[in-house]
Amino acid sequence: MAEQVIEIRGLHKAFGSHEVLKGIDFAANKGEVVCIIGSSGSGKSTLLRCINLLENPDKGKICYHGKDILTDETINMPQYHAKVGMVFQQFNLFGNMTVLENCMTGQMKVLKRSREESMENAMKYLRKVGMEAYVGAKPRQLSGGQKQRVAIARTLSMDPEVILFDEPTSALDPEMVGEVLSVMQNLAQEGMTMLVVTHEMGFARAVADKVVFMDQGVIAEEGTPDQVLGSPKHERLQSFLRSML
Amino acid sequence: MPSTFFGWVGFLLKQYGGLFLSGTLTTLLIALTGTFFGFIIGLLVAIVRTIEIPRGMGPVKRAIRKLAHMLIGVYIQVFRGTPMIVQAMVIYYGSMQYLGIDMERTMAAILIISINTGAYMAEIIRGGIISVDKGQFEAAHSIGMTHWQTMTTVVLPQAIRNILPSVGNELIVNIKDSSVLNVISVSELFFQAKSAAGTYYKYFEVFFIIAVIYLVLTVTVSRVLRFVEKKMDGPDNYVICGSQSDSRSEIVVSKEQEQEVDRQWQSK
Ligand SMILES: Nc1ncnc2c1ncn2[C@@H]1O[C@H](COP(=O)(O)OP(=O)(O)OP(=O)(O)O)[C@@H](O)[C@H]1O
Ligand SMILES: [Mg+2]
Repeated sequence: MAEQVIEIRGLHKAFGSHEVLKGIDFAANKGEVVCIIGSSGSGKSTLLRCINLLENPDKGKICYHGKDILTDETINMPQYHAKVGMVFQQFNLFGNMTVLENCMTGQMKVLKRSREESMENAMKYLRKVGMEAYVGAKPRQLSGGQKQRVAIARTLSMDPEVILFDEPTSALDPEMVGEVLSVMQNLAQEGMTMLVVTHEMGFARAVADKVVFMDQGVIAEEGTPDQVLGSPKHERLQSFLRSML
Repeated sequence: MPSTFFGWVGFLLKQYGGLFLSGTLTTLLIALTGTFFGFIIGLLVAIVRTIEIPRGMGPVKRAIRKLAHMLIGVYIQVFRGTPMIVQAMVIYYGSMQYLGIDMERTMAAILIISINTGAYMAEIIRGGIISVDKGQFEAAHSIGMTHWQTMTTVVLPQAIRNILPSVGNELIVNIKDSSVLNVISVSELFFQAKSAAGTYYKYFEVFFIIAVIYLVLTVTVSRVLRFVEKKMDGPDNYVICGSQSDSRSEIVVSKEQEQEVDRQWQSK
C-alpha cells in the first residue's frame, strides 16, 4: 500500500453564500501524478489554494502524512509550505529579484540555509530547468515559458515533497507550452508527487497516474487516464471532453 | 547704502549670508529628517493595516488589532484634516502648557513634520502595497514566508519603488512647508529671512534671495531622486553566462538582443 502524502476529507469552502467546494474527498500517494480537470468555475483552483492555505477552508480535513494541517498544532507551517510547493498560472516570480535570488530567498528566509548552500541548490535546479544561463536576469526580461521554468526551479529549491500546479501553461504562448510540460514530465519521472490542474489532455493522458474530474464543487469522476479520458461515464464529463477537442 | 536692486542683493548676501546659510541648513535638516521619520511612521502604519487575520487568532488579539486600526484611522484623519501650521501651535504650546515640556524648537519642528508626513505617507505606502500584484504575496506565502518576511523582502521593495515619486514629492513639500514652522520660532530659512528683512525694510530683496534658495533646494532634490529611481531599476542589460559551448563566455544582452537569444534558446 503506497504512502498517502495528501489526503482530503469532506472539504467545504464558500465565498459568501457561493459554495465553491461541496465536500471534496481525495488522496494522493507518494510519487503519484494527479491531474485535475473540469470546466471553469468548478473549484479546481480553490481546491489547490486550500491545500496551500491561500484560502481558509470552512469545513473538512487536509491531512499531510496523516496530520490535519488545519488543526494539528505540531505542524510547523513554514516547513509545511516548503514541503508543499505551488506553481501559479501567472508565474508570480518576485519582480524585485533576479532569477537566482528568486530561487534563493525562500531557502534562506524560511529554511534558514546559508547563502552558499542556497545558491548551490538554486543553481542545481536552475540547471535542471535549463535556466542556469539567466541567473542575473530580472523576471521582466524573460519570456513566459522561461518565467514558468524559473518558477518551477524556485519551488524545487525548497526541496518539496509535493508540488501543486495551477494551470501552469495556460498563460503561455502555444510555442512555449512544450518546454514547461517537458520539465514537468521529467519531474514526474523522477518520482515527484504532483497535483496538476490542467487543460492539457495530452499531458494528462501521458503523465498522470490518476485523473480527477471536478464539477460544480464535487469530484464527479476519478480513475486512471484511460478510464476517465477514454471511457467517461458521467454525462457532464463526456460533454466537457468533447468541448476540449 | 546700495542704490540698485542687485546692489542690495549683494549687500544683503554679504551681511546675512551666514544667517541664510544656517537657515537653509535648518530647513534641510528638518525637512529631511521629518520626511525620513514620517516615512518610517507611514511604513509601520501601512504594515499594521495590511496584516490579515491569521487563522486561530484569539479574541484578545482581534480586539487589539481592531483598536490599532481605529487609532490609525483617527491619526490619519486628524493630521490630514488640519493645517500643519495649526498642528505646530497645538503641539508646541500644548506640550508646554499642559505637559510642562519645553521642547527644543528644532526638535519640535522635526516632530511635527514627522507626525504630519507620517499621516500622508501611510496612505501613499498603502497605495504602493496595494499596487503590488496579489500574486507576489501568494507566491511568498506559498514558500512559507511570514507576513513580515513577505513584506520586507518581496512587497515593500516593489511598493517603495512604485511610490518613490510620491515620496520625493513629500520631501519637496516639506522643504517648502517647513516655512510655516516660523510660527514656533524655528530658525529655519523663512524665519531667518524675516528677521533679516526687518532690519533695512528690504522685504522684496531678501525674499527674492530666499525664493531662489528654495528653488535651488527643490530642483536639486528632484534631480537626486530621479537618479535614485534610475539606480533602483537596475541595468536594462543582463549577462548570460556559461553557454553550453563555452562555459567561460559571458554575453551582455540588451533588450533588443534579448528576443533573438530567446528564439535561439527555443530552437535548441
Ligand atoms: N476570492 C474569491 N471570492 C469570491 N469568489 C471566488 C473567489 N475565488 C474564487 N471564487 C469563485 O469560486 C468559483 C470557483 O473558482 P475557481 O477559481 O476555483 O475555479 P476553477 O475551477 O479554477 O476555474 P478556472 O478553470 O476558470 O480557473 C468561481 O465561481 C469563482 O468566481
Ligand atoms: Mg483556476
